[in-house]
Amino acid sequence: MLNNSGLLPSTSASFTLVVGYTAVEAVMPADSKRVRGPEESQSPLLFMPSTAQKAAGPEESRGDGRQRDQVDVRPVFARCGLVSQAKGSAYVEAGNTKLLCAVYGPREAERKDDTDMKAGRLVCDFRFAPFSCPKRGGWIQGSEERDAAQALQEALRPGLCLHRYPRSQIEVNVLVLEHDGSVLAHAVTCASMALADAGVEMYDVVLGCALRQDGESYLLDPTLAEESGGGGGGENRGSVTVALLPSLAQVSALQADGELREDSVNAAVRACMEGCHRLYPVVRRALVNAVRKRAAPPGDAHS
Amino acid sequence: MAAVQICEAEKVYIMHGVRDDLRVDGRGCEDYRHMEIETDVVSNTDGSARVKMGYTDILVGIKAEIGKPRPMVPDEGYLEFFVDCSANATPEFEGRGGEELGSEISSTLYKVFSNRNSLDMKALCIAPGEHCWVLYVDVLLLQCDGNLLDATSVAIKAALFSTRIPKVHISEDEEGTKELELSDDPYDCMRLEVEDVPCIVTLCKIGHRHVVDATLQEKACSMASLLISVTRKGTVTCIRKVGGGSLDPESIFEMTETGKRVGKALHAPLMKLLQEEEMLGKKKQKVGFLG
Repeated sequence: MLNNSGLLPSTSASFTLVVGYTAVEAVMPADSKRVRGPEESQSPLLFMPSTAQKAAGPEESRGDGRQRDQVDVRPVFARCGLVSQAKGSAYVEAGNTKLLCAVYGPREAERKDDTDMKAGRLVCDFRFAPFSCPKRGGWIQGSEERDAAQALQEALRPGLCLHRYPRSQIEVNVLVLEHDGSVLAHAVTCASMALADAGVEMYDVVLGCALRQDGESYLLDPTLAEESGGGGGGENRGSVTVALLPSLAQVSALQADGELREDSVNAAVRACMEGCHRLYPVVRRALVNAVRKRAAPPGDAHS
Repeated sequence: MAAVQICEAEKVYIMHGVRDDLRVDGRGCEDYRHMEIETDVVSNTDGSARVKMGYTDILVGIKAEIGKPRPMVPDEGYLEFFVDCSANATPEFEGRGGEELGSEISSTLYKVFSNRNSLDMKALCIAPGEHCWVLYVDVLLLQCDGNLLDATSVAIKAALFSTRIPKVHISEDEEGTKELELSDDPYDCMRLEVEDVPCIVTLCKIGHRHVVDATLQEKACSMASLLISVTRKGTVTCIRKVGGGSLDPESIFEMTETGKRVGKALHAPLMKLLQEEEMLGKKKQKVGFLG
């Protein structure tokens, strides 16, 4: 700003700039930690031409080479034991969606009046990193994060043997590093891997899978563009997220949004269950590798 | 959630009854309790309704205010939900105790009403990008006796039906500044199309069967419930599984089927009742809170 004053034709313009700056400083208590934009700024995304109309028609294939109407999940990279301070942790990457989960516990419950004598409590926290979504999010927990935390808790509870941890609480913290679609589904998978890595007793891992219904065809494990594209008009448009305990064939979470016909919902749930079964071997292998790495004696270089 | 503690013997009693399609109060598994609906109970609001279902008592008030539309959708108005659990319902709700339940219910309502076809949001627009109607829907839980979401959705539908939004006239000066004028005539107002507003049906899984409109005792026996939002045509707009237990996929399909059937059957009598109440006009006897 001060450099530009030399280039400005009239000094009065630069003078107003300086006045404006000091006025703002006088009004706000000196908040030197955050650089906030001016009050009236808007995101540039509002002015970008909408790419929704260019969303794939029914015959076109998806952007990354996967097929419509097929149980085609993105290849998943899963690794346990990344956060050294946590009891258990897991990192999952599916396409561009990156999530990190850390589990602490079983610990003594914070709020003594909520202590349950017979079973433990599961506390979930879900955060989007501010740089994870196309539009910058704030650090204060928004309603979407609270809903996701609630959904995560409901999805994980049936899989855990909480009656083995009376009067304790287990904390699960999920951080989304990059949001490229089906975040809740992958968060469920990541969280249950972290719980298994932490040694919490479970009936089965809980795996999640999401689906986007687009008219007559469905897209399994949608990316962010596929999730938000094709909005507005059209019959039978919506998204479905399912969390499954594979070896018990029990559904622990189901969320369906958007106007969907009943047969589409049934087909979607079945497709998501199939998608979860596809993820199962990857998750099992990652957990086995983590256990082997932990159990390997110090002198042994091979895990 | 405000829950009752019941002993194992009572749980077994309820589960055996449900297995034989007979509930404690004599209903079948798919029967609702007797519902009483009254609109226009609060005179300060633009629309209000009160629903009593068993001992569950919900009061909804809607106020319309002029606000700025959301940046992504400049030609639509929007709804804001707020659910307050009154301390009259249970002592647990005193102070901030009912906040968790309230925010859970309001986030479910946001999800249900985010569907574009439920309510015509474009009708709430005044000047695209500048002014629109914002409907503040305030839900007050006066008494809780189970099945809060079903009663809340019915009350919201009734309140939206009775909402009268004053007509706005935009006049422009020579300088281009716009002025909004609300008409003085209290009868010159806009009504909302609530035909496609969905109703929520909560199905609780008890044993191997599921029940509609569960009381608090039945809720205590159930580990998992399915929440389905159904429109008049039978389309399902939102499905959520709530509760700490898991569900078999086959049960989910059965419950969706039942929920769709029950929900669809709820709309026609409700609209008929609301229109009949409207027809009474001045002759309507106000029951209010003492009836």
